[in-house]
Amino acid sequence: MPKLLRYYIHGVDWFNRKIGRFVMYGIFVMMAILLWSSFSKTFLTPSMWTLEMAQFAMVAYYVLGGPYSVQMGSNVRMDLFYGEWTLRQRAIVDAMTVFFLGFYLVILIHGAVGSSAYSLGHFGVEPYTFYKDLVMAYITGGKEAASEIIGYIERSPTAWRPVLWPIKLIMVFGFILMLLQAISELLKDIARIRGVDY
Amino acid sequence: MSYEMIAILMFSTMMLMLMTGQRVFGAIGFVGVLAAVLLWGTGGSDIGFSAAMKLMKWYPLLTLPMFIFMGYVLSESKIADDLYKMFHVWMGPVRGGLAIGTILLMVLVSAMNGLSVAGMAIGATIALPELLKRGYDKRMVTGVIQAGSSLGILVPPSVVLVLYAMIARQPVGQLWLAGVFPGLMMAAMFILYVVIRCRIQPELGPVLPEADRNITRAEKMRLLRAGLLPIVIFATMMIPFVNGWTSLVESSAIGAITAFVAAVLKGRMNRTVFENSVRSTLGISCMFMWIILAALGFGAVFDGLGAVKAIDSLFTDQLGLDPWMILILMQLSFIIMGTFLDDTAMLVIVAPLYVPLVQVLGFDLIWYGVLYTITTQIAYMTPPFGYNLFLMRAMAPKEITLKDIYRSIVPFVGVMFVALALVMIFPQIALWLPNYVYGK
Amino acid sequence: SSTIKWRMQTYAGPSLAAHVIDPAIEMFNKIAGDRMQIELFYADQLVPTGELFRAMQKGTIDAVQSDDDSMASPTEVTVFGGYFPFGSRYSLDVPVLFNQYGLNEIWDEEYSKVGVKHISAGSWDPCHFATKDPINSLADLKGKRVFTFPTAGRFLSQFGVVPVTLPWEDIEVAVQTGELDGIAWSGITEDYTVGWADVTNYFLTNNISGAWAGSFFANQGRWNELPEDLQTLFRVCCDQSHYYRQWWYWGGEANLRVNGDKMKLTTIPDEEWATVETAAVKFWDEIAAESPTKAKVVEIFKKYNADMQAAGRPYR
Ligand SMILES: NC(=[NH2+])NCCC[C@H](N)C(=O)O
Ligand code: NA
Ligand code: NA
Repeated sequence: MPKLLRYYIHGVDWFNRKIGRFVMYGIFVMMAILLWSSFSKTFLTPSMWTLEMAQFAMVAYYVLGGPYSVQMGSNVRMDLFYGEWTLRQRAIVDAMTVFFLGFYLVILIHGAVGSSAYSLGHFGVEPYTFYKDLVMAYITGGKEAASEIIGYIERSPTAWRPVLWPIKLIMVFGFILMLLQAISELLKDIARIRGVDY
Repeated sequence: MSYEMIAILMFSTMMLMLMTGQRVFGAIGFVGVLAAVLLWGTGGSDIGFSAAMKLMKWYPLLTLPMFIFMGYVLSESKIADDLYKMFHVWMGPVRGGLAIGTILLMVLVSAMNGLSVAGMAIGATIALPELLKRGYDKRMVTGVIQAGSSLGILVPPSVVLVLYAMIARQPVGQLWLAGVFPGLMMAAMFILYVVIRCRIQPELGPVLPEADRNITRAEKMRLLRAGLLPIVIFATMMIPFVNGWTSLVESSAIGAITAFVAAVLKGRMNRTVFENSVRSTLGISCMFMWIILAALGFGAVFDGLGAVKAIDSLFTDQLGLDPWMILILMQLSFIIMGTFLDDTAMLVIVAPLYVPLVQVLGFDLIWYGVLYTITTQIAYMTPPFGYNLFLMRAMAPKEITLKDIYRSIVPFVGVMFVALALVMIFPQIALWLPNYVYGK
Repeated sequence: SSTIKWRMQTYAGPSLAAHVIDPAIEMFNKIAGDRMQIELFYADQLVPTGELFRAMQKGTIDAVQSDDDSMASPTEVTVFGGYFPFGSRYSLDVPVLFNQYGLNEIWDEEYSKVGVKHISAGSWDPCHFATKDPINSLADLKGKRVFTFPTAGRFLSQFGVVPVTLPWEDIEVAVQTGELDGIAWSGITEDYTVGWADVTNYFLTNNISGAWAGSFFANQGRWNELPEDLQTLFRVCCDQSHYYRQWWYWGGEANLRVNGDKMKLTTIPDEEWATVETAAVKFWDEIAAESPTKAKVVEIFKKYNADMQAAGRPYR
């Protein structure tokens, strides 16, 4: 296995593990929000942000935790045949079918990029150009130039009206990490097929 | 392309993809977005993602990580050990008593969590080794644990019923209450089965030897106190909820905290237990959520492409069946799908087609939720794809082979079928309690 | 030869849609026949309501029935869609405002900017509270978790109401599971039609708006592709839907107050309710200060209401 690929595997796995091990404590964040919700409802005025905040926390939890759960092998498979195969056979099939998973993730990312660009005020159909312009503007002209590019900021249609770009960017980020993890799994499978260490 | 064609194509491609052994969410998600990209037209590629926004709005899903965490705290911290000992001591003298005790244990564990994972973990790690050591038949006890733990989704609280509630738009409280008697009835039927089997073949469940039974009355009474724990956990969660003091999602958080605090108070919460519970909760929650994400996308595409119409008209116009036949066909299709499909995916994809139909046919959707849950229990145990099978395979001691695991479920699935039929014929088994409590 | 196919999603769930949209679409499909068919999807069915606008703009969905507020349309007029507090008194106010006082032009301009065709606006029912516990005074509103529209919620929060937004289809269950104490989303007709009357006990006769304003929209490109006669047919069917709602709600509201037996009526005395009306005037000015377009709309509201006041009975 070329050094570069080995770095990739270890780098991605390390990063996703760190992220996963961080967001796993999100369970307590969700609990705290929900407890505050029932507490404030009983003893004070109920807060109007709790339910939505808990939803955001839940999304961050499962999207960012996804890659780590793949590492842990938590994602079930239908193993009618799979279960019978040797490790090598599994690696061979996985190395092919992971492209289907990859395709799914690419489409998810594409949707998320479009939606997050929209949440920052891009109404067109070229979210990637939008992001490129945004980054370029930031680099050349700083914050002010970047805010020129940003348009109508999307807010959640609730009375609390939180902006939606943070959670949408988290989703973009998480889905990309998931794709990186899938590629890492592919490389590991190739290594297994060729019987080399990684 | 005709609607029928689209329905058949999407379903068969999904089955094929699942067969390859790729992760379930990947297989389902792939078929969904592929169909969207190819057949939807403009903007089709966005549907996969808009499912993520839909999922975010499904606030009752918050109960999922809560119940999962609760289950792990209960099993990892081994606070259920005392419960097991209690049943062990009290039931030991009876023929097949330890198996019966295990079923009762499973009922209590079911009242404390919303899935079957915790029951499986507790059953396989605490009860199973003991049962084997005492010379119980390995197939019988393997079956007892798988079947018993599946009660976790029928006896309240139940995550499966929460998911069903979201799709069928039915009140969770009533659905949960509707699960109580069917759950107890099923447990009673399992026990009856064990009793009868052991009556016929006493060697399957030998009586506890004299030496093991030498326990003082005081000690026996002391052990009964272990039974308080599930009652306390169940009560802190359910009482505020049923009284409307806390909402469903809040109650689930309270339940999780209570379990956690109980483990701390009992001195069972150490670093490893904590670490394992938190980590496994993330793993299992992610597994569920990603499957739901993919299935929601698949479902929206399936619907938007008109495949739902094809299935609707198949049941109502083309086959021209009477309501009961349609109902039975639906249950059968659930059971068949349940053998090789994850139940959450099955629910998210199929229930939106079935539920309106059930309503039009004039059946009660609360009752139907219970029927659905029982088929899910069956799905958990039927090969090739079943969560309890997977867990059992992962946790069972060496001497239990795959063949044992598969064979062990046969009688219990049979019992479940009988229970399913009983609830179908006598809806009051499910409906009496919710009607009574909510004063219908 | 090939049939034009549109996917349309409404904000309404099936039971409400049976009145507010199904008849119009069935009519359209019957007349258009092989030339065009619209497939109707209900609340959150294909995409969640909050994503409707974007989905339509990108063409994932071809046409939409919703208010501007719930689908979070990125325009200056969003706050006025749905129940703008005390913006109308009777359901006929809405079409008059749009057709005779210039709102159509403003809406058209605003939606053209964001690539969406605004076809026409119509009115729905008045906005009342349906709650588990009775409301007899403003104090009773304090701390109530109520499902309502974003803008109405913003307005009501000054009286201690805690506005909650959930998918429409989840409301009935949310009331039962304790997530909500009540609903400020509709008149009594909808309460009975969609089942909310079964889970709440009280209906407050004071309303915070006389009629909900909702619209039909389409993806701009898809709309432009339609031959003119189909565009006309679509408009006619939208008008049919507006007309149907005029009498269905108007008659339903009165009938159910008098003959409905599932909800008890309560009333906050006029003197006390006047505080809410005064607060609305302040709220309008706050909104007007947000942008020139909003100021223009508020100006129109004021002018319209002054005219109606001056006209006397039966207008005010
Ligand atoms: N999501 C929405 N915009 N809902 C509007 C409901 C308005 C009104 N109550 C009706 O009967 O239709
Ligand atoms: Na349970
Ligand atoms: Na199965």
